Amino acid sequence: MAAEPIVVIRELTKSYLQGDLNVTALNGVSLDILPGEFVVLMGPSGSGKSTLLHIIAGIDRPTSGSAMIQGINIANLNESQLADWRNQNVGFVFQSFNLIPVLTAAENVELPLLLTDLSSAERRKQVATALDLVGLADRGHHRPDQMSGGQQQRVAIARALVTDPALIVADEPTGNLDAKSAGDVLAILQSLSRDAGKTVIMVTHDPKSAAYGSRSLHLEKGEITA
Amino acid sequence: MTLTSFVVKNALRNRRRAALTIISVAISCGLLVTLLTLQRELTIPPESEAASLRIIARNKVSLAQPLPAKQLSTIEKIPGVVAVSPFTFFGGNFREETVTSFAQFAVDPVRFRNLIIEGRIAEGSYDDFINDRTSCFVGADTMKRYGLKIGDRMRFTGTFYPVDLDLKIIAVYQGTVDDRGVFFHHKLLDELMGNPGTVGTWYLRVASAEASNEVIARVNEAFANTSAEVRAETERAFQMGFISMLGNVKLLIGSVSSVVVFTLLLVTVSTMSMAVRERFRELAVLKALGFRRRELFSFILAESFGLALLGGSIGIFGAWALWTGIDLQKLTNGFLLYFEVTPRIMATGGVVAVFLGIVSAISPSIAVARLSVVQGLKTLD
Repeated sequence: MAAEPIVVIRELTKSYLQGDLNVTALNGVSLDILPGEFVVLMGPSGSGKSTLLHIIAGIDRPTSGSAMIQGINIANLNESQLADWRNQNVGFVFQSFNLIPVLTAAENVELPLLLTDLSSAERRKQVATALDLVGLADRGHHRPDQMSGGQQQRVAIARALVTDPALIVADEPTGNLDAKSAGDVLAILQSLSRDAGKTVIMVTHDPKSAAYGSRSLHLEKGEITA
Repeated sequence: MTLTSFVVKNALRNRRRAALTIISVAISCGLLVTLLTLQRELTIPPESEAASLRIIARNKVSLAQPLPAKQLSTIEKIPGVVAVSPFTFFGGNFREETVTSFAQFAVDPVRFRNLIIEGRIAEGSYDDFINDRTSCFVGADTMKRYGLKIGDRMRFTGTFYPVDLDLKIIAVYQGTVDDRGVFFHHKLLDELMGNPGTVGTWYLRVASAEASNEVIARVNEAFANTSAEVRAETERAFQMGFISMLGNVKLLIGSVSSVVVFTLLLVTVSTMSMAVRERFRELAVLKALGFRRRELFSFILAESFGLALLGGSIGIFGAWALWTGIDLQKLTNGFLLYFEVTPRIMATGGVVAVFLGIVSAISPSIAVARLSVVQGLKTLD
């Protein structure tokens, strides 16, 4: 029996005002993503790929249409419910790592767990596991400015993983990395999808990065073209 | 890591700015406490329970106009008057001083004894004061300040009266609200002035505080339509009259204090706004990770509150320690007598610090509430 899609997008549109101009970022996008898929969103700048990613991740709202994630239409959730939903279901990996500079790697990874009911010992255990998964078990006490770009991005992946979310969204995660570090990061994301069953959705411009995914979608002018 | 340690790390991420903010709040709160203490010192005269039982009657035209000494017999007979003595301000300069900060009064020693309710004789004997017309009865603070002892002489150069005084210290008092005054025989002043038959004011004691209004009315009435009409008032009202001569001190100090608080507010609001603005993208990331508005508000409020309260505490307790440790009476030549930083003034400073902490968090909190995660992340990319 085929698995139920984790992401079900139907007739999704997103438009916004840019000055006096009404810009349509997404124009009737429909899409299903299965659990454990590593979906790569590609397309030129302004094609709507990041907007689609943001809506799926619950940090932006559609103008119309529905975005059902794990059976929940997240467009219907209020601000507070959406925040809780993100904390429990989505892991974020950003292009610029976005680690808090005054916190150590372990503390950065621990941040999403501060919103849970876990004890301090339980949190430390989960942080250690997440850092171990990305190969940084021995760097937990280092601050971001004491680490390379690749290491910082791996800390960001550990932070995305630590709450054990079903969905991991990555917005150009290798955009600021050298080829070697980019390869390491992509390999981790691929492993998360293939071995841990996480659904990974990644935006990238780079066809080499896209090759790590299990499926690529091409967007142009707010529509999926391939 | 806990949420508290996260807030502390954020607050101290720019240590120089945090330190400068704390210092500016500390200095401003210290200044505010100092101004409020000065206001209290200048506008609230020393008050004692006994002061409510005493009345001062002066010439209705002006304090500078003397009253006829013959009024004494009339005042004595007024119902409710327990004791009365002439009470004439001499206003001389001690030794070589150009401004002497303690007052000298000519009194009738026998009658004046019944007017003294509070305090005690610390050295010497009041009876000796009564018996020696060239002696004086001196407050312990003045004795200590000038290193005087019983038997020393005090010489005063007259400024209001064209005569000088040469008095022998015979007794010392202490335990009143103002242990600085010097009292001497009115008869001595009368002799030196050629017995003019006048006094500066009358000092009265009434049986009870409730009776004072009635006695005041009777005294005023007794001399109505005479060549020397009097204006009687309680000792406290009389002191307040002196203070009003300084102008509206309360308004002046209040205005300066308001400017201090307002400036302080601008400093802390600006600091918190800067601190939050440079962290917009981090706050957007926290939102993305699941932190809600109320949690972000709490972070900002705790940070702002912590900085303001720390600075405020340093300033308030610093001012308290400073003004408690310094002998201001000596330093200001007796102008400032107590300069007491009261718990109420410290609490006012604390309330101002808390107010600053809360108000300075409002504007950044509104900005964060409006912040969309996507817009916040774009500030990064």
